[in-house]
Amino acid sequence: MAAWDLSVTVEELGPEAPPLKVSVTSDLHIGGVILKIVEKTQIKKDWSDHALWWEQKQQWLLRPSWTLEKYEIHADARLSLTPQHKPLRLGLPNGTTLRLQACFSRPVFQTVMGVCHLLNLRHPEELSLLRPMEVKKKKKDKEAEEEVVYDLTGLRTSSGPAHTLSNGMPMHFADSLQTEAVYKMLSVSLPAPAPETITKMPRPTSLMDKAQVHSRWLDSSRSLLQQGVQEHDRLLLRFKYYCFHDLDPKYDAVRLTQLYEQARWAILLEDVDCTEEEMMLFAALQYHIGKVSLSEPQPMTSCPAMDDLDSALQCLEVKMEAEESITADMLETMTVAPELQDYLKIFRPKRLTLKGYKQFWFAFNNTSISYYKSKEESLKEPIQQMNLKGCEVAPDVSVAGQKFCIRLLIPGAEGMNEVYLRCENELQYSRWMAACRLASKGKTLADSSFSSEVQNIQSFLAMQRTNPGANIAQTDDSINTYSLVSPRYHKKYKAKQLTPRILEAYQNVAQLPLTDALLRFLQIWQGLPDFGVSYFVVRFKGCRKDEVLGVTNNRLIRIDLSIGDVVKTWRYNTMRQWNVNWDIQQMAIEFNGNVNIAFSCVTATCKIVHEYIGGYIFMATRTKEQAEVLNQELFFKLTGGHEAI
Amino acid sequence: MDDIDAMFSDLLGEMDLLTQSLGVETLPPEPPSSSSKENNFSMGFADMNVESLNELEENDLDALMADLMADLNDTEEKLAAELGGQKEAEAPHPDLPPASHGLSFYPESSLSTPTSPERGPNTFSAPLADSPAPILSPPTLPQHAKLSMEEIEAQMKADKIKLALEKLKEAKVKKLVVKVVMHDGSSKTLMVDERQTVRDVLDNLFEKTHCDCNVDWSLSETNPELQLERGFEDHENLVDPLSAWTRDSENKVLFQERPDKYEVFKNPQNFYLWKKDKKTIKDMKDRDKELLVEENFCGTSIIVPDLEGVLYLREDGKKSWKQRLFLLRASGIYYVPKGKSKTSRDLVCFVQFDNVNVYYGKEFKNKYKAPTDFCFVLKHPQIQKESQYIKYLCCDDAWTMNLWVTGIRIAKYGKSLYENYKTSMKKAAITTAWTNRTAGTTSIPSTPSPTTKAKASGQANGHAPQPPAEPVAKVGNAPPPPPPMLPTQILPPPPPDPVLPPPPPPQATKKSPPATSVPRQLPSLPTSFPPLPTSMANLPPPPPSLSQDDSSESPPDFLPPPPPTLGFGPGAGSLPPPPPVSFLPPPPPDPGFPLPPPPPDPAFCPVTNRDSLPAPPPRQSNIGAGAPPPPPPPPSASAGLQSTPSVRRTGPPPPKRTTPPLAAPGGGDFMSELAKAMAKKRGNQ
Repeated sequence: MAAWDLSVTVEELGPEAPPLKVSVTSDLHIGGVILKIVEKTQIKKDWSDHALWWEQKQQWLLRPSWTLEKYEIHADARLSLTPQHKPLRLGLPNGTTLRLQACFSRPVFQTVMGVCHLLNLRHPEELSLLRPMEVKKKKKDKEAEEEVVYDLTGLRTSSGPAHTLSNGMPMHFADSLQTEAVYKMLSVSLPAPAPETITKMPRPTSLMDKAQVHSRWLDSSRSLLQQGVQEHDRLLLRFKYYCFHDLDPKYDAVRLTQLYEQARWAILLEDVDCTEEEMMLFAALQYHIGKVSLSEPQPMTSCPAMDDLDSALQCLEVKMEAEESITADMLETMTVAPELQDYLKIFRPKRLTLKGYKQFWFAFNNTSISYYKSKEESLKEPIQQMNLKGCEVAPDVSVAGQKFCIRLLIPGAEGMNEVYLRCENELQYSRWMAACRLASKGKTLADSSFSSEVQNIQSFLAMQRTNPGANIAQTDDSINTYSLVSPRYHKKYKAKQLTPRILEAYQNVAQLPLTDALLRFLQIWQGLPDFGVSYFVVRFKGCRKDEVLGVTNNRLIRIDLSIGDVVKTWRYNTMRQWNVNWDIQQMAIEFNGNVNIAFSCVTATCKIVHEYIGGYIFMATRTKEQAEVLNQELFFKLTGGHEAI
Repeated sequence: MDDIDAMFSDLLGEMDLLTQSLGVETLPPEPPSSSSKENNFSMGFADMNVESLNELEENDLDALMADLMADLNDTEEKLAAELGGQKEAEAPHPDLPPASHGLSFYPESSLSTPTSPERGPNTFSAPLADSPAPILSPPTLPQHAKLSMEEIEAQMKADKIKLALEKLKEAKVKKLVVKVVMHDGSSKTLMVDERQTVRDVLDNLFEKTHCDCNVDWSLSETNPELQLERGFEDHENLVDPLSAWTRDSENKVLFQERPDKYEVFKNPQNFYLWKKDKKTIKDMKDRDKELLVEENFCGTSIIVPDLEGVLYLREDGKKSWKQRLFLLRASGIYYVPKGKSKTSRDLVCFVQFDNVNVYYGKEFKNKYKAPTDFCFVLKHPQIQKESQYIKYLCCDDAWTMNLWVTGIRIAKYGKSLYENYKTSMKKAAITTAWTNRTAGTTSIPSTPSPTTKAKASGQANGHAPQPPAEPVAKVGNAPPPPPPMLPTQILPPPPPDPVLPPPPPPQATKKSPPATSVPRQLPSLPTSFPPLPTSMANLPPPPPSLSQDDSSESPPDFLPPPPPTLGFGPGAGSLPPPPPVSFLPPPPPDPGFPLPPPPPDPAFCPVTNRDSLPAPPPRQSNIGAGAPPPPPPPPSASAGLQSTPSVRRTGPPPPKRTTPPLAAPGGGDFMSELAKAMAKKRGNQ
């Protein structure tokens, strides 16, 4: 067989070097070609990660046993020998950027699997890579370059299941202090962003905007290089499918945190719409999570992995102590609750009379407040006793105006009684407020949460003192409320108007441990009506105007583009089949009862929509038992398609 | 009335004496159940603020007295048991440790858990702590004898303190005497302590009323003054809402069937797909319903039905009703302000659910000039009279009202609602089994035998003289049926049972009527078994059914069930009534629940099957069909006998699910269809 020259570019020889010419025959297999090239370069290094890339055909030559003939490579082909893993800048849900080695030769689905394995993110099938929004103005380029990049290119994982240390950190992060810091950044939610950061970020204002986002997903069944991604490019790693399988705080420190970050940004940037009340609750949870993350160095201490002997021993000790302390505990709970007594002013807005505040001697007892004419009379019958169990407690506070009032709505048989208590100073206020809060939940002053409640209130009061304009990130007890809500509320409220609103919501979550708070945030997020809908602008067959197709984990939604109203929904479980006509980029779906729909995609390629639907169906096939094994074949079957040309 | 009072004080005195003697000798502290009972005596009447004693009707008093007497017996007995147990523990080398007293005590610990989780495990003192062990391997018991005297003394001292503290704590527990109006208008009086949930009280009532125990039974309160009614949720504490009643209140607690209680789990499509046309909703397949429940209640977060619609709102103070567009979200009810869109950001919060309950309004057309009678109300549970803080809403029809009230309950209670439902289903399944058993004669008497058999394997002598099962229900009141014991010994025990190393789960234990144990009642242990032992004792045990029962009795935890039962399977299936089968269900207390499908009697509660079956691998079979393996037959099939009857119900779903996609032209399923299409495409190119 005749030998001919094959020209191959080798990166290692430098960018200016001319392509190498190797003499080959058509029946030479790829492995042999590589061997020849390597010999010719005379560079001694580990070439195992290198593979041949066929520039013109945008194709990797990954099968070493295939011959050049089989690949239909002739003398005019220009190949390059290049590493399969290249550094990539990866934007995480929490806004930070990592530099790490990603696979450029395998389908993106597997690239994501590799990245997730490295980052200790379980269930990589739920994530995918998104091209970042193109930066329009050149001014912003500078800022982008300024961003901190955490370098993880040196990190290598062992194959097989990741071994984790007792604190849940995978072994490979324990190499250096630097990587440990990166892991912490990954697994602990970041402090609240400065309000300016939020306002500067692009926000979707319409369904059209939201649909644009989804046009940027990479194709899971093709490789990065095939999709034009170059070394050192920046991509975003995001949760793509909104069904989070088997979320277990014990193993999912990074996953949970990143999920929370993605949810938080979705809320802050109004990607998902919510009501004002919900926004305040989200704000309260963010505040709480930020606060607890700071105080809890190990994020998941609440559920330590017991593979560590030390922790096991410790646990044992605690258990033994606990047994001994049962009696002590019992005694404690038996003791009478400590009392809170002071002169306060009371005001009952009743019958339209303007009596104003009057001073009495107040005593807190169990869940009731009694008041007397004076301290001396406190042994006699109280003027009135109010049981606060089940009542509503709201702050009416202005630090600047030195006004510290507690508004109580006390339920009675006849209705709710409105009562205002006025305290003299912050300390007094925070103690009485805490007591009222506990009492409203049926707890007494003896409850262990009393002192922490007092502290919470004090730190919240401190929020009011800070200058709302100051651009400070969250520190221990000062935070700008504008960092917790979407820009819409920056316009609507002053920062100090927000404080009491957030505080009100905060009282219901203040006692949650970190993990629970994260989960609660996610739950409320998932409970929003618009949660988990990915929008695509499509044109239905036979319709003249663009409409929106919403894809969720269990249904397809047809939405009117201009009004945003839901026109129709189809659930996946009534779906019989779907087909893609790649030529005319049209999807046809058949549902039970002879319902047929067909549409072409406007904002995204047909492949993205097809992959989204197929992906969700794939997600639904997962069961708890097979949690560990990922059925890749099925995923590609359901989401792949036109590559098989 | 005076006599009765006197009798009560006598009783009280007696109880005190008992308590004292306990305290002095400080035997292992009695389990809380008994001590709580004591306090019932001391506290119950002092604290009665629902009804005064004088208002009680004669028969109520009788019932109460019976309860009290039973409690007294109970305590006495327990004391005796403990004394026995203690002696035993102190004996240096008890060769045959499980003496009758000691033994009769053990099962209780295992019994207390399954039906009454809120009770928690009984806190037994050290000597009895490892109670289950002696049943299995007697030699382990003497362990305590090894303790030095000092240790024992120290232990006793600690126990004494514990006991005293427990009692003090107990004394703080609030109790109410509650008159419950039954569905037929009669009433029953119960003592309810503040730790009891509505579920406990329901169980208690099941026991007292012999009703069919289906999931619809519920307790509700009515407020005649406001013309309101609300079904309590099973997880609520009953005492809490009742404490809000005023002294002169005419409110009532009703025990009735409320189909709306768990309608959302039976027909989730009515709530989650309410926008769809009526026909789709009506023709919903069972499997799809399951899927809906799964989707909305089994995920990381509960999904609240996205209700929206125009409702009438009663204006504050005014007598007019104004229409507004309301929306339900997980965080509350919102309305769309005039001239605004219904996007989330424009919504105005109407009410959040933290502090309010939802009530049905009755005849508001008359009372408040409402547009229709389909009204519901949101108010703080404490409000009992007209007030501006009560929010009145009116719907166009009953369907809409039901939609909203249920939606609000889902938003407010979330997962608890589903948990409650599952618990109720279990309860219903067990009880159905019982009812069936007693009705379906043949299999009844055989029940005890397997249990004893199983026991026998564990016991040294194989005699099973003391059926360890403590009658949870009032079963013990009936004369102990001796015959069941005989068949046990005659019939060769089926192989699998003895092989099972662990003791049979409590459920099985519970069922065997006591052979010799003294009638004892543990009123605090809610149970659903209607006391029908007499009929059982009268019936001769037909051998074949015996073995059927055997299989059914085999602890659900230990799957797979004994193979031999398979042989009897067909026989069982051919029996006219499906009792033996339906008897199977007693699902394991809780953890095992999802594993073995409780195969309840289809005839009695068709829903049971549907909802309790572990969902076969769901959607893929439907859509992505072909690629994923077809849903495996429900595991119940593995349970020999079980399969026969349950096949009827469980069998069909899988095919049903798979058929639609299969129906695609060419017989290919969805996936292969897709593949084909692709291949075609390829070919064309």
